[in-house]
Order: sequence, then C-alpha cells, then structure tokens
Amino acid sequence: MSIATAPADVALARRAPARTRPWYLDVWVQMVRRKPLGTMGGAIVVVMLAAAVGAEWISPYGFSQTSLLERFIAMNRSHWLGTDQLGRDVLTRLIYGARISLYVGFGAVLVGSVLATTIGILSAYFGGRVDMLVQRGVDAWMAFPPLLLLMSIMSLLGPSVWNITIVLGVAFGIQNSRVVRGVALGIKEHTYIESARAMGSGHLAIAARHILPNVMPTIIVVATTGLSTVILTEASLSFLGLGVPPPYPTWGGMLSLAGLDHMYQAPWLAIWPAVALSLAVFGFNMLGDGLRDLLDPRLKGG
Amino acid sequence: MKQYVVRRVALAVPTLFVVSVLVFALMRMMPGDVATRMVEGHAYAPTLAALRHDLGLDRPVHVQYLEWIGNVVLRGDFGRSYWTRQPILDEFVRRFPVTLELALLTVLVSVVIGIAVGIVAAVRQDTALDYVGRVLSILALSVPFFGLAVVVVVVPSIYFKWTPVYTYVAFSVDPLQNLKIMLVPALVFGVTRAGPIMRIMRSALLDVLRQEYIRTAWSKGLSERTIVLRHALKNAMIPVISLIGLQMPLYIGGSVIIESIFRLPGVGLFFFEALNKLDYPVVQSVNLIIAAMVVGLNLAIDLSYAFLDPRIRYR
Repeated sequence: MSIATAPADVALARRAPARTRPWYLDVWVQMVRRKPLGTMGGAIVVVMLAAAVGAEWISPYGFSQTSLLERFIAMNRSHWLGTDQLGRDVLTRLIYGARISLYVGFGAVLVGSVLATTIGILSAYFGGRVDMLVQRGVDAWMAFPPLLLLMSIMSLLGPSVWNITIVLGVAFGIQNSRVVRGVALGIKEHTYIESARAMGSGHLAIAARHILPNVMPTIIVVATTGLSTVILTEASLSFLGLGVPPPYPTWGGMLSLAGLDHMYQAPWLAIWPAVALSLAVFGFNMLGDGLRDLLDPRLKGG
Repeated sequence: MKQYVVRRVALAVPTLFVVSVLVFALMRMMPGDVATRMVEGHAYAPTLAALRHDLGLDRPVHVQYLEWIGNVVLRGDFGRSYWTRQPILDEFVRRFPVTLELALLTVLVSVVIGIAVGIVAAVRQDTALDYVGRVLSILALSVPFFGLAVVVVVVPSIYFKWTPVYTYVAFSVDPLQNLKIMLVPALVFGVTRAGPIMRIMRSALLDVLRQEYIRTAWSKGLSERTIVLRHALKNAMIPVISLIGLQMPLYIGGSVIIESIFRLPGVGLFFFEALNKLDYPVVQSVNLIIAAMVVGLNLAIDLSYAFLDPRIRYR
C-alpha cells in the first residue's frame, strides 16, 4: 500500500526547493509522519543505542559483579529483573548485552557493506571473466546453509568478539555483493558512464565517483535490513558457545544451553534475554522496512 | 528441454568443486588443531607426530585434498571420523531421517499456519483480521526460534509439570510416540518460520485477486470461497513454493540448534558434536553433502520451473 504513495513523495522530497532539508534528514521526517511501525522500530533502536552507550551509567551493578548471597532472586526492588546463578543482576547483563549485540552488529554490517560494495561494483564493472569467476565463488558460498559454515569457521577460529565480527561481516558482504552487483550492472549501462570514460576517467574514478553514489541507497537499505539478521546470527552462535565468549554478557549466551539447568530454578533467566532479543530484532526489522519503503531506488524513477 | 537440463547440471559441477575446495581449505587454514587435542586431552597416540602420521595429516595439503575428493567422487566414500573411526556416510545416512522428518514437519507447520493466515489477511484486507495477521507475522519474524525453544522447554516444566520427551524413538518403531516427540520442536521452529510465508502468501494473493480472470469469476456469480480457493490460490502459490525452496538451507542450519535443545539424534547434532571435537573429516564431509543437497534442490526447483513454464527454457 505504501508503494503506491511513495514515488510521489520521494519525487517531491527531491524536487521541492522550498524544503531545505537534505534527503538524509528528510527520510526521518517522512518516517515519523508516514511510518508508525518504522518509527516504533526506530524508537526501540534508539533506546538500545542509549543503553549500549551509557551502560556504565545506567546499569545499577557491574556486569560480572557476583553476589553469592543473592542468587536466583526473582524480581524485587533492588534487582528489577532478578539475578542469575552467581547473583549477577539480569538487567545489568541485558544492558551490557545490548552493547555487545550492537558492537558486533554494526561492526559486521560495516565490514560487510564495504566488502559487498567492493566485490559487487568490481564484478559488475569489469564483467566478463572476472565477473564469471567471482560469481562462481559467491555461488559456492551461498550453497552452504549459512549457519553450518559460520559454525565451522567459528569453532576453528575460537570464540571472540573480534572473530565473530569479522566472520559475520565477511558472510554478510559475500551474500549481499549479489544485490550491489545487480544494481551496479544497471548503472554501468547509462550513457554518463560512457561519457566519463570518453573524457578519460580511469576505472577507479568511474567506480568511485559515478557508480558508488548511485549504489549508495541500495547499500543503506541492505545494511539496515541486514542488521537484524546479523544480530540474530550472532545470538545463535553465542547460544551454541561459538560466538562471544564469557564473561561478556550476550543475549544469545545468556539463553544458552550451558545455563539450561539453572533456568529450571529461575525461568526469568530464559525469558528476559529472549524478550530483549525479540524486541531488538523487531525494532531493526521495522526500521529497516520503513527505510526501504522510503529509500528504495526502484521507487525513485529513472 | 534436454539441452536446458544438460546446461543447468553442467553449471552445478563447478559450484560443487569450489564448495569442496572452500570447505577443505577452511578446515586446514584455520588455527585449532585436532591432533593436538586428541593427544593432549585424550591420549589417542603416544606422540603428536605419530598421530599426525596415522591420520595422514603430515602429508602435503593438496595430496590430502585429492585423496578425500577422489574417494568421494570415485567410490562415494566420505572417509571416517578421526575420533570414532566410523564411516561418515553410514552415520549420516542413519541420522538423516531424523533431520528430514524434523524439516518436513517444520515446513508443514509453517506452511499450514502461513497460508491460512495469509489467505484470511488477503481476503479481508485492511480489516482488523488483516492487521492481527500482519502483526503476528512480524512477531513471528522477530522471535528467535532458539529463544522460544528454551522458553518452551523451561517454563511449562515449572508451572505445568510438563517436559518435552527426551528419549528418541524412531518413526519405524513407534510412529505415534515418534510424532509426539517431534511435534514440539516442529511447532516451535515452524511457528517462527511461518511469518515470511504468511507475508508472501498475502501479497501474492492480493496481486492475483486484482486480475481480470478473477473479475470474470465474480461476474459469473461464483461464491467467494470458490473464487479464492479454486481460482486464485493456485496461481498465488508459485512465489510461496519458491520461498520454501529458498528457505531449505535455513531449516537445515536451524536443525543444529533445535536438535541440540530437544536432544534429537539427527545430522545437526552429529555435526555439532564433530565441530566441538574439531573432527575435520566429519565437518567437511557433512558440509559437502548438505551443500550438494542444497545445490541439487535448487537445480530441481529451477528445472521444475522450466518444465512448467516453457519461456524459461529458451532464455
């Protein structure tokens, strides 16, 4: 339904000289006006960001601060969401968990976007044999169920924040290079690329100055819609003990099988991390959907 | 048609070759050494060098690769586990029915829920029912299935004294008991996968319902039920089916987690245990077999499209 109304508005936003807002600010205004679910998602993401950045100030305890006298406390006034088997405050660990999730999520998406852009543009721009070779490699990578391959790599590398960020980033990059390539292939055929070449621009200059800016909206959409997947994948790997190692608190790790025995005594240990994770994924999904509707290059017209 | 089939199959071969190189190289290039772990933790051999020689790990990497892939291609022999010395293919074949059953039941659950809710949402577009359906599908997309699984395992056992059954019984031994065991994992996994199916069902059906032959059907005075179920649904199913095909790898990847939570002795658990022990041959062979299945499945889907729609063949 939004698709029907979007082109007019996007066109308006680009044309109207009266409105002095640049497009990257205007998107947010449009979001609040027309996308209630996207705005809600954005609000969740902002809360999560605030929690991640200000974890030290917001959270009442340290994330690995144990207190053996206060084990398995259900919710009470000093521990809003209870404590775990070592007397660590669950709320505190959830807040710090947001930091890890976002750190890995943004890091991986950043690495992945750069990689996807590089592979995608180069593969499309040079075409021919280069494209053929690169695409067979991408085919092979995509033939694996994603989780199996990531698990294999992480079990060999060993769990660490750095490793998982890079591994998820590379996976994200290879997968999405297809999308970037598709868009770049279309842009390459435009006459202004030909004229740039005629004027003596080098390959690098054409790729960076003419193709890249036109691929940018696609990359932003791919990155925002991909964030929730990356966060979820990190959580699944941490759940299996192959992601972020303890003592860092992560939502996937808090849910993990290792703590299952304790959860029978304290079900909130299972419920709260699951809720936090669902909320975060919901927030990023909605924000991504909203942004896609507002930014999708296909809706912009020629 | 024949030419198209040959061309498509020929394209799958290089993909599988790159897959095998990729998975083998990953295993050997990464840090983490199976031999060290076998000697230090479990004393499988007196010295590291002896064990490496035993396992053939002291030979050049390309020789190891050629031996592995040669046996796979020529003899269908995927090698043996380093730890148990059991043939990998036998174990895979023994465990595969569990994973397949889980995947099929999961698809069934998600398809039934997704299609039913999708139809209602499309037919009653922009009513309260539609909004409820759409919100549910977004929720289903957002809840991580392993989180839901853990909650389902833990919470009912505390408040209702109900626990999932953990002792596995094969379908061939006692079908009813087997289904009882598989039901909860399939429900948990299937519910979280129903979201995308519902969304695509809804939009595909909305698309079809606006087409002219549907208007003709209305003007013939057919009932809504007949129009939706007999005329529209069939054409709206194509994107749904291709989505299910695309999602198969996700079901297989997810089965690792589901099988470890519900203790189902499937391929996923086999793979996960091998990973934890850095059992190279098992990890690389299972990866290869599953990748081959995914490639084969995609091929079958493409070929079935070509069969159904002649235009694709001549592209």
